[in-house]
Amino acid sequence: MSIFEYNGSAVVAMVGKNCFAIASDRRLGVQLQTIATDFQRISKIHDRVFIALSGLATDVQTLYQRLVFRHKLYQLREERDMKPETFASLVSAILYEKRFGPYLCQPVIAGLGEDDKPFICTMDSIGAKELAKDFVVSGTASESLYGACEAMYKPDMEAEELFETISQALLSSVDRDCLSGWGGHVYVVTPTEIKERILKGRMD
Amino acid sequence: MKLDTSGFETSMPTIGFGSSNDMLDGFSTVPSFDLPRTTDFDGFQKEAVQMVKPAKGTTTLAFIFKEGVMVAADSRASMGGYISSQSVKKIIEINPYMLGTMAGGAADCQFWHRNLGIKCRLHELANKRRISVSGASKLLANMLYSYRGMGLSVGTMIAGWDETGPGLYYVDNEGGRLKGDRFSVGSGSPYAYGVLDSGYKFDMSVEEASELARRSIYHATFRDGASGGVASVYHVGSNGWTKLSGDDVGELHYHYYPVPPAIAEQVMEEAAAE
Repeated sequence: MSIFEYNGSAVVAMVGKNCFAIASDRRLGVQLQTIATDFQRISKIHDRVFIALSGLATDVQTLYQRLVFRHKLYQLREERDMKPETFASLVSAILYEKRFGPYLCQPVIAGLGEDDKPFICTMDSIGAKELAKDFVVSGTASESLYGACEAMYKPDMEAEELFETISQALLSSVDRDCLSGWGGHVYVVTPTEIKERILKGRMD
Repeated sequence: MKLDTSGFETSMPTIGFGSSNDMLDGFSTVPSFDLPRTTDFDGFQKEAVQMVKPAKGTTTLAFIFKEGVMVAADSRASMGGYISSQSVKKIIEINPYMLGTMAGGAADCQFWHRNLGIKCRLHELANKRRISVSGASKLLANMLYSYRGMGLSVGTMIAGWDETGPGLYYVDNEGGRLKGDRFSVGSGSPYAYGVLDSGYKFDMSVEEASELARRSIYHATFRDGASGGVASVYHVGSNGWTKLSGDDVGELHYHYYPVPPAIAEQVMEEAAAE
């Protein structure tokens, strides 16, 4: 198993009508052994930008701390929050700085930009940005996730329907992966509220 | 009456260039397989072994208690990180009074258990009495020993009831054969042993023993990524084996650890149809 499959993870983000949803599994494992079932993979940068990191858990935590630090500096200097596109460029630059000794994680960034237009993107471990209009996936279950999202996704879904879709896609995909699952964590973000939900999944 | 000595033969499989083995007369000797025609035989063997990488991603267990033998297993088949199936039968019915468990390569386990069943039946016909668990496990161990080093992956337990009472043997692809009271095989076995060893008593009823076996498999599926699906529990008594239960471990989790219902602040009600 490769180093990206050491801890196991599954992350997905989807775009809806003036809203977005970002979801992850909750397992932290050491190869096949499950250590924890409440690992936080999704983090809030500010009210309108979220980042979820898949891959090696130690790098997930360290990279998240570095990004929060850089964003706080930005807030002090510019006296405003970062736009999601800008944040994505920041993450890409930080990852490329470590081109020859990279952070072993693949981020998924989701946010609401100008005029409440949802923005999602994913990156590989050295910062190659991939923008998408519908959904992005990352982690050990990514191939299953691609299939599930492709089948279930519709454009312009409202928040509740988006939540149902992303939850079903996540749960059915992690049920085909030994290294991710054990519950789910979903954030649905609209211009007015952030809804956080824990999913009840198969614990095997 | 000719004594059946097929179990003693340990001849290496014969190289069958062109001559196909008729299945009917193949059982008096160790089954022989055609060898591949290649210039680099060792390299080919090495690749073949790597392909069937003996990961033994599973959890199986068996233990002897007052009322017989309890056998349990999960039902997940995994290929590396991918779950290829959640509904594999890992407890193989060799004959009505003997069970075998499957850990390792699925094809290997299925084939050799079926082969063992055939040998046991031939023994019955030749000797007019059932084969003992000790004899059956010895047949299997000797067959596997002759294929030692060729990349078979089999970690099995033979459980049954014969004239001497309940019997349990562990047999693996190295040719090892161990007699014992409690075994667990597979990547989830450390977790299963933890629950099994702390809850085990010889004087258990069938219900208590089946609950212990089910709980052990459930805990192994929770902690081990390569185990999951359905926890099947079988009991082998003096009248043969019976399947006691097959519970989905996803549901078992919430049965053992129910989620307290959250107090809903706002209850969504069905909109009246207009």
